[in-house]
Amino acid sequence: MSYLRECLKSDILCMSVGDGEMDLLRVENLSVSFFRPEGEIEALKNVSFSLREGEILAVMGETGCGKSVLCKSILKLLPDIAQIKTGHICIRGEEITGCSEKQMRKLRGHFFSMVFQNPMTALNPCMSVGEQIAEAVRLRRPQLTGRERKKRAAELMELVGLNPPGERAKQYPFQLSGGMAQRCVIAIALAAEPAVLFADEATTALDVTVQAQILELFLELRKRMGMSIVLVTHNPGVAARTADRVALMRDGELFRIGDVEEIFEEIIYNQNLT
Amino acid sequence: MWRKFLRRLYIIKILHSAVKFVLSVLVLSAFVFIISRLAPGDPLYAYYGERVEKMSVEEQEQARTRLGLDEPIPVQYVRWLQGAVRGDFGISYQYKADVKEVIAARIGNTLLLGGLGFLLIFALALLLGLFCAWREGQAADRMICRIGTVTSCIPEFWLSLLLLLVFAVWLGWLPGSGAYSVGEEGNAADRAAHLILPLAVVVLGHLWYYAFQVRNRLLEEVRADYVLLARMKGLSGKQVLYRHCLRGALPSYLCMMAVALPHILGGTYVVETVFSYPGIGTLAYESARYQDYNLLMVVSLLTGALVIFCNMLARTVSERIDPRMRMRTIADGGEVRDL
Amino acid sequence: MKKSVPFLSLLVLACIMISCLACGLIMTKDPLYMDLTHCNEAPGKEFLFGTDTMGRDIFSMIWYGGRISLTIGFLATLLSTALAVLVGSVSGCAPARIDGILMRLTELILSVPPLLLTVFLQAVFGRANVYSLSVVIGLTGWMSMAKIVRTEVRQLKNTDYVLAAKCLGGGFFHVLFRHLAPNFFPSVLFMAVMNVRNAIVAESTLSFLGLGLPVEVVSWGSMLSLSENALFSRAWWTILIPGVFLVGTLLCLTNLGNYMRGNSNKRHSNLRGNE
Repeated sequence: MSYLRECLKSDILCMSVGDGEMDLLRVENLSVSFFRPEGEIEALKNVSFSLREGEILAVMGETGCGKSVLCKSILKLLPDIAQIKTGHICIRGEEITGCSEKQMRKLRGHFFSMVFQNPMTALNPCMSVGEQIAEAVRLRRPQLTGRERKKRAAELMELVGLNPPGERAKQYPFQLSGGMAQRCVIAIALAAEPAVLFADEATTALDVTVQAQILELFLELRKRMGMSIVLVTHNPGVAARTADRVALMRDGELFRIGDVEEIFEEIIYNQNLT
Repeated sequence: MWRKFLRRLYIIKILHSAVKFVLSVLVLSAFVFIISRLAPGDPLYAYYGERVEKMSVEEQEQARTRLGLDEPIPVQYVRWLQGAVRGDFGISYQYKADVKEVIAARIGNTLLLGGLGFLLIFALALLLGLFCAWREGQAADRMICRIGTVTSCIPEFWLSLLLLLVFAVWLGWLPGSGAYSVGEEGNAADRAAHLILPLAVVVLGHLWYYAFQVRNRLLEEVRADYVLLARMKGLSGKQVLYRHCLRGALPSYLCMMAVALPHILGGTYVVETVFSYPGIGTLAYESARYQDYNLLMVVSLLTGALVIFCNMLARTVSERIDPRMRMRTIADGGEVRDL
Repeated sequence: MKKSVPFLSLLVLACIMISCLACGLIMTKDPLYMDLTHCNEAPGKEFLFGTDTMGRDIFSMIWYGGRISLTIGFLATLLSTALAVLVGSVSGCAPARIDGILMRLTELILSVPPLLLTVFLQAVFGRANVYSLSVVIGLTGWMSMAKIVRTEVRQLKNTDYVLAAKCLGGGFFHVLFRHLAPNFFPSVLFMAVMNVRNAIVAESTLSFLGLGLPVEVVSWGSMLSLSENALFSRAWWTILIPGVFLVGTLLCLTNLGNYMRGNSNKRHSNLRGNE
């Protein structure tokens, strides 16, 4: 556990230097289209937002409004028929829109990380959980020896509540419950020690109690590791409970962004009107 | 304590498979026996050959009674089985020799041709499949797919003829028949030269079918969500393909190849016949043509047993390798979930 | 990503089939007449595709023999597809015990080397003619298709939409024709086309080996059975020309079959990013 703490501390120190000077992540006028044989489909239209250090931003909207595409287009994980048409993506003031796949790869395991919606399909069914976490650790810290890597993987598993790590590491994804599998995906995402964590409907596939536990975990991780989280959800309850700010999306457009109290008051007010 | 229990479990499993195998082969032999006895052609020929024609009717009748050929087929089958258990499969009418000897003299050639062909197909199919999956939809992949479709449409015998025509007749580079030149039995280079054309046909005839399956299987894997997670870790596309997708496709690949083994090994009939390659294939063909049923029985039993064995092997392989299957069978067969 | 209709394959296939059916109009010679003064003649003005070692005109034989090859292909497919669908769907719907017996039986027949099975069966039927050969090939070609049909039926039977259709009060035949058949049809059609292909290959291979149709009955396979002589006399046209027609037909059938199977990969690969 001690090693992890050290890493975390240094990360927090790193971040506090940049604090207040510029946004951690800024997206400006991002438009993304899917080019299918049937024609062009505009998935994102002029989306702009920014993310501050250590903040949790909830992105809310109906299913299919482009929330997932937004995350994936920032990480450049979209299939090759999708293209960024216009816009800029900047991290700490540096533009990454035109980055090559090779450069993006360095960012993915280090600066960005992502938790996917369905933990059961996101994990490789043919690899043990421990192996998959250790692989992420190896990519983040190649200098570690095999034993250190395993130790670190075990620490991560303990951190997300996969107990006892030794036994869990040998298990395969299909032997885990949905909540446990999602914890495993989160452990993989944390192995990257990211500055920004995208949680794409991370709790949607889980039942309510597990959902609550995972959200608690996010809050705790934010506190301990100081990372920013983009929480994609269509559940207002989740957003209200966890987020500092909320962005609302509809039909590929981000039409409203603001502090959580402000937005929810607005929503309640609008609902009362109708 | 329970480790011992588990080991016993494995023994039971192996015994279970062995019993199943023996039963399957028994049923298969009965099936082949009945069909071969139903077929026209006097089985007396299988024992006496042309001498039958010189025998008088009474002598024929006597011979029939002595050999038990006038008894009902099930009784005959049991008799054949008794002989077979003692290792007596009868005489090959055509070769005037013990069936075992005739087969023993040729099985090496077939194993060489089919085995080499299998190994080549095994390796090349995986490589081609990986390459095509990596280049999915690009020019190289499309071209290979197109060429592969064409090769898979060419009947083996015609491909053999074509190669014979080009390399043996027109160019004269390679020998066109036999397994070795006369008097050069020990010469490895001569054997290799004789092997090239048949081997080429065996490989070309089967390769694309398996490579295409590998490709499709990998394309399925590539579409899975876990690829995104793996890429998010910072792996490149190639690394994901090799370390993750290949791993997912491997059990079904090995399973497929286990099933393919008898097909490739036993599917050399046509090739062997065209190239007059002295193997089991030519033997089967000749025995079928000249109604040498004793020989045919053993040949089809051999290949059939291989098919059954390989199918069982395939099932075991996929159970052992694929963690999903492995856990399930352990959960079914025993009590411990995590070994 | 819809697959495009294989126009070229369809066109070629249609041309070959129509020409074979209307062979009487196309043939320049009697395909059965052995003109011993013109043995092994190279393609030329009189004999468009040359003559074979027995002095028959290959151009006429192609169309005449193609008719027989295709007939056998279709007849055998009719039989094998019917058998496969029957066994497969019975096995798929039946209780576990009957299913087990049927599948063991199928596997048993599958484990007999196919060539030997055909030879055995052919021996039972006696001397081969077009119909007996079709029956034999049909009887030996249904097993793997039956297994696929069975799996398909099993899978379809347990899908939610079938359950939903039943819940809505759909009768057995309604569910069968409205819900099962449309899902079932493309793969059966694909397999049927592939069966035509396999039957034609089986016919030509058997006839080539001398186990199928005799040399006097002209088919693409029996034409090729003369190729051993042709190899010695370097008469490439007796080998090449029937083979090209054979392979061309098979290729068109394969393309057609692949088109009928429909799209297998609807999703996009996750392997490559947008750069």
